[in-house]
Amino acid sequence: MEKQKKTPVKPSFEKALSELEKIAIRLEDGELGLDDSIKEFEKGIKLARICHEKLEEAERKIEILQKGDSPNEVKNKKVAVKPNTGEIEDDEELQGSLL
Amino acid sequence: MDKELIPEFFTVSEITKILKNEIETSPNFTSIWVKGEIYNLTYHSSGHIYFTIKDEGALLSAVFFRYANKSMKFKLEEGMNVILFGGLTVFEKRGSYQMNVLQARPDGAGELQKRIEQLKKKLEAEGIFDSSAKKELPLLPKRIGVVTSPTGAAIRDILKVALRRYPNIEIILAPAIVQGDSAAATIAAAIEELNNPKWQIDIIIAGRGGGSFEDLMPFNEEAVVRAFYNSKVPIISAVGHQIDHPLSDDAADAAAPTPSAAAEIAVPLKSDLVDEINYHYTRIQGALLKKLNESKTGYQNLISKKIFRTPIDLINSKAMLLDDIQTRLISVMKTNISCKKERLLQIPDIYRLEKNLINTKQHLFQITIQGIEKMSPLNIMKRGYSIVEDSSGAVIKSVDNVKAGDKIEIRFNKGRASSTVNSVIKEE
Repeated sequence: MEKQKKTPVKPSFEKALSELEKIAIRLEDGELGLDDSIKEFEKGIKLARICHEKLEEAERKIEILQKGDSPNEVKNKKVAVKPNTGEIEDDEELQGSLL
Repeated sequence: MDKELIPEFFTVSEITKILKNEIETSPNFTSIWVKGEIYNLTYHSSGHIYFTIKDEGALLSAVFFRYANKSMKFKLEEGMNVILFGGLTVFEKRGSYQMNVLQARPDGAGELQKRIEQLKKKLEAEGIFDSSAKKELPLLPKRIGVVTSPTGAAIRDILKVALRRYPNIEIILAPAIVQGDSAAATIAAAIEELNNPKWQIDIIIAGRGGGSFEDLMPFNEEAVVRAFYNSKVPIISAVGHQIDHPLSDDAADAAAPTPSAAAEIAVPLKSDLVDEINYHYTRIQGALLKKLNESKTGYQNLISKKIFRTPIDLINSKAMLLDDIQTRLISVMKTNISCKKERLLQIPDIYRLEKNLINTKQHLFQITIQGIEKMSPLNIMKRGYSIVEDSSGAVIKSVDNVKAGDKIEIRFNKGRASSTVNSVIKEE
């Protein structure tokens, strides 16, 4: 199968979702012909897929910013969190502020 | 004086003693907190401190004995708002009551409240609390920035709520001190740091759990309020409070009464979003299916029509029409031809007729010629008539046109005679 054309910028989640909703309304209106209906439907399927992709874009990580070795340097450090309590594990060495 | 007439009485000492006893042993007055402003303050050389506490409506004398005030960490000042702990005592010798202060602390709230009000007015005038300056919160933030203490209850609550609502959310904590004098600067710095594009933060939650009015003061500090306002990333103020909300709430794009509530606002419930997408997906699927069914029904209705069931009928009927037209055409042509033929057959009669006509015309012509010949003057002259002409050859038709002596020519049937008129006689 031919590879799909790359769209330059994917719409934001908000835009994709609202566009999907608009398509649903247009299709339910029933004013479109069969050909246009199928075109709109295909657009809608694409948007729904984009929305689902957007939901999975985040990759669950908790980080804490810490003062770096040189002044004004800030580094991020991954930390483990107990999901049921929200407690950060081994936080003894964490600094209380960036200053 | 009659003893019976004299009413029961107290001595001054007695009544004062009763009052003293009443007041100094009543739990209502022995361990109490009193709030007011210091007035008429005297530091006695003995180490005791005498002053009056006042508010808008009343005065209360107070004494702060040396044994009680020696551990005090601050100095009482005239006009200072304080909260005092102690009990009421009655000073019999002066007949007055006073508060025996055991503990004093500055009533920060009063002072601070004033400062907050002033700051609020100033920032309000700058437009920092304008609703038009508020940014919209993203529907689906991928990465949340949090500004709070890494060890407090706030971060635990936020993480718990955020991960429950959106298991694969990304959270970056910019640690800050949220209590005490150094807090404001660290909070402002942390907000600023999270605005650095390299962290790719979609929304910030900045706050702390509930506490005393003083505990929440950092979120009333100018530097912090401005940091909220200046944040390019949408920011939620998440300071635990019951009644008085901190100024950071007014400067933020959104405010929540607790850090947990802020996490609920910032982080969408993933299952809700999945449901919404699927709902619309189902809708478009259903609508298309309906459309397809409609088209199918329309098609079926169409092909069930007779013409599509037995298309040969269409041809047959056309063929019949064609035959009909052909027959009619042939018959019309036949009529036309016979008509022409009939006219063709009539032609010889016409010829005959015309021939007769010519004969008649010839006969008439001869008769006319004969007539014409009879009419000729030459013929008339044969019968004895002559023509008289004048000298120019013109015929003289009247006696009026001649006179005596005129030369005239007389023309006869054969020949002429030149003559002269002798005389003219006119006759009636």
